Amino acid sequence: MTQVVLPPSSPTLMTPPIVSVRDLGMVFPVPGGQTVALQDANLQIMPGEFISLIGPSGCGKTTLLRLMADLITPTSGELTVNGGTPRSARENRAYGYVFQAPALMEWRNVLSNVRLPLEVMNAPRDGRDSRAREMLKLVGLEKFERSYPWQLSGGMQQRVSIARALAFDPAILLMDEPFGALDEITRENLNLELLRLWRETGKTVVFVTHSISEAVFLSTRVVVMTARPGKIEGIVNIDLPQPRSDDSREDPRFFEYATQIRELLRKGHS
Amino acid sequence: MTTAPTPRPARRASNVLPMLAVALVAVLIYWPLMLWANAGQAARSLASGADLGCGTALQCATQLRNPVIPAPGQFASGFQSLSVPPLAATSAPYNALVTGGETLLGLALASLLGLILATLLVRSRSFERATLPWLVASQTVPIVALAPMLAVLLGQFGVQGFFPKAVIAAYIAFFPVAIGMVQGLRSPDPLQLDLMRTYRASPAQTFGLLQIPASLPYLFTSLKVAATAALVGSIVAEISTISFSGLGKMLAENSRASDTVALWVIMIYGAALGIVLVALIGLLERLVTRWRPSA
Repeated sequence: MTQVVLPPSSPTLMTPPIVSVRDLGMVFPVPGGQTVALQDANLQIMPGEFISLIGPSGCGKTTLLRLMADLITPTSGELTVNGGTPRSARENRAYGYVFQAPALMEWRNVLSNVRLPLEVMNAPRDGRDSRAREMLKLVGLEKFERSYPWQLSGGMQQRVSIARALAFDPAILLMDEPFGALDEITRENLNLELLRLWRETGKTVVFVTHSISEAVFLSTRVVVMTARPGKIEGIVNIDLPQPRSDDSREDPRFFEYATQIRELLRKGHS
Repeated sequence: MTTAPTPRPARRASNVLPMLAVALVAVLIYWPLMLWANAGQAARSLASGADLGCGTALQCATQLRNPVIPAPGQFASGFQSLSVPPLAATSAPYNALVTGGETLLGLALASLLGLILATLLVRSRSFERATLPWLVASQTVPIVALAPMLAVLLGQFGVQGFFPKAVIAAYIAFFPVAIGMVQGLRSPDPLQLDLMRTYRASPAQTFGLLQIPASLPYLFTSLKVAATAALVGSIVAEISTISFSGLGKMLAENSRASDTVALWVIMIYGAALGIVLVALIGLLERLVTRWRPSA
């Protein structure tokens, strides 16, 4: 079969989606009833896409990400990740997960933190350190491999956790508001760095955020979600030229997309 | 001088000064307290017509044979006779080493037992429900009652001397260790547990790579608490069983002989031993948990 290279935002029948969400629902029991965290979600993600999930708290964006990661099990609907169930994707180590907090092991230095997944996965012993160093270089922290987490700033810690997620070369990167706790300047720098990583590694990224400008700047498509019940309100194609730079923020279309997303969010709110 | 002073000496000075201040206060209180405590006995001896070689009760207070609180000179000669040569069977330093060894072995046993118990308690709710009340009950049994019984029991298996005391020290110390380790094993962040799940880590990997290292600071905190209790345990065990060495054996002997000066000296050795044990654990903690910022 011949591989046809397509723009990522135009799914066709030729390339199967790497993540397929069909009528997906998630209901959590709560005292005296239940909470509908996600209802009738539909979404196809193609390999190599950069997808952002945006919405207010309680819209189910983190729930959707955790469903993809098989950290929770859906109560209805269908979900395939990397051509199989989320469980098989997790067991085949098909994705790397970056959490809201860096979640580094404070007793391990930077290099050893990045090496952790390779240890768990029993990667060949002699290749671990060189692979971890390679990943640290990718996030620009090669000079800090001997530092301990408490010696790093929040932004640097989060870069370590991204290097750790990439260490075992998963096809998909699931990121749950990774820069939410950081200041605006650090966040914009890390956004540029993440885009470079995405271009260089060709991974599929699913990125949860509640910043409209971050979503527009990073994504090929933005999935707008609304709360109570959590559902997908609409999907916006971001047709800004690649590779993106600080100039992309000045593009008139940047503001059009932001407005479009804001209106979708407002629609769900009323 | 152009170089700025390093913060280290400054910090050390700030540690030593309060200690010296406390020592000064202790010395200031010691004198009147010693005179007051001994004066009554001295007065009674004088009244009974004994020739103490001193005039007034206050003068005699520093020269009693078995003072309530020894005078400085008595302390000095007491220390001298109990400490030289240090490794003789009747010397306090040698016996402190024996007691310290029992306590350390007890703490090692307690760590092992505490770790095993904590692992089971964290793993299984039903195990926790079934055993926790009994563990608590085990700590309410007076050690004075338990020690001879354990010594007899272990003696039937030919285990004598050093080891039964270590077992009794462990019996006291395992409880704080187990409770601290339960907390430590449960201390990993939910995100860290999720992370291990995304790696498809086995339960053993999660335990060894996440839960155990996360629990080490808790282990050392409980060990410091356990150390002093275990020391008391081994001394009580030495007193209440047949012993041929140890601070407890010395205490028992000298209390039968009413040698209060010796009792005071042994007490001070015991206190110093406690400080040394806690410091040793602190040292071990610093070696093992090097990653922590304030070493």
